[in-house]
Amino acid sequence: MLLRASSDAVGAEVDLSAAVEDAADGGVEDGAVLTAFAEAVVRATNDLDAARARALETLGPEKFVEAAATVGIFNGLVRVADSTGIPSDAMMLERTADVRGDLGFNRWSGAKSSGVAEAPA
Amino acid sequence: MSFADRRFPVPVREDMATALRRSWADIGRPGTWWTGPERVAIAALARAERIQRNEPPWNRDRGEPSTSLPEKAVEAARKIGADPAQLDREWANSVISEIGDSHYVELASVVVTTAAADAFCEAMGIDHEPLPEPEAGEPDRERPDGMGDIGAWVPVQVIDWKRANVARAMSLVPEGVRTFFRMVAAMYTGTASDFDRMVWDHRPLARPQVELLAARVSALNQCFY
Repeated sequence: MLLRASSDAVGAEVDLSAAVEDAADGGVEDGAVLTAFAEAVVRATNDLDAARARALETLGPEKFVEAAATVGIFNGLVRVADSTGIPSDAMMLERTADVRGDLGFNRWSGAKSSGVAEAPA
Repeated sequence: MSFADRRFPVPVREDMATALRRSWADIGRPGTWWTGPERVAIAALARAERIQRNEPPWNRDRGEPSTSLPEKAVEAARKIGADPAQLDREWANSVISEIGDSHYVELASVVVTTAAADAFCEAMGIDHEPLPEPEAGEPDRERPDGMGDIGAWVPVQVIDWKRANVARAMSLVPEGVRTFFRMVAAMYTGTASDFDRMVWDHRPLARPQVELLAARVSALNQCFY
């Protein structure tokens, strides 16, 4: 996944479990603020206003807009992939082979389209 | 004008606002297979269902049906809009057998554009943009050449493809690709050279910050891709 590749590129060690854990920072600057913001938007939780305010205060307006844009567009991109059953790219499957099982990705419905599905837990 | 600057609580890059405005207007225009009114109806169904995404499907308030869309199109707009993790090939085949693969892909393109724009509004803390006024006119009904089977549920472009598969997932309807991926470029990938660079020292957020958000949103939606 590009989270690991982009972290490797700057010599940082990322904790990929941040993708599946609540409010985890993953070793990324302001990571916990970012993930809490994303979670509140996707889940439409009651603390969305607070998570947004914290993101804006922590990041400042310019970075906040970029974060909101990323959260927004990925709510579309996941639906592109999941509505078309598009297989994952071979290079991405290869690069994530060591972590997908542990993180639970192979149990998700879309794993069938890439031929790596495991039975749901 | 949609996505007017005054609606945003903090300034939004002009190229991003422009992309949102153009793609939003596209929803109201005649598409390749659906008319403008049909496309706006699809967006409305997806939005209404997604707003209720925390409720189980059987518990959602759907009111009285007020659309002439085929039943399977209504179902698809709702399900892609609110329950993307629950989609599978058997379900998609059941929809495609009723409405056709091109209609299905265009419907999906309208839903994903709506979902992304709505989620952006929620993240920004502003009301959803009113749906565009539908425009009159007929769909052009042009099916592109060069489509093939790579294991997806729908045919995709197979000739000379060197980019990520997700970028060709909706290539059966090029207009749908243009509408949505215009927003992708403005809100995520930037230019082609931007996307290939793993270090973003020229953009507000560092690349790992953007990819952490991407990974978390994908995981929350249980998106394998």
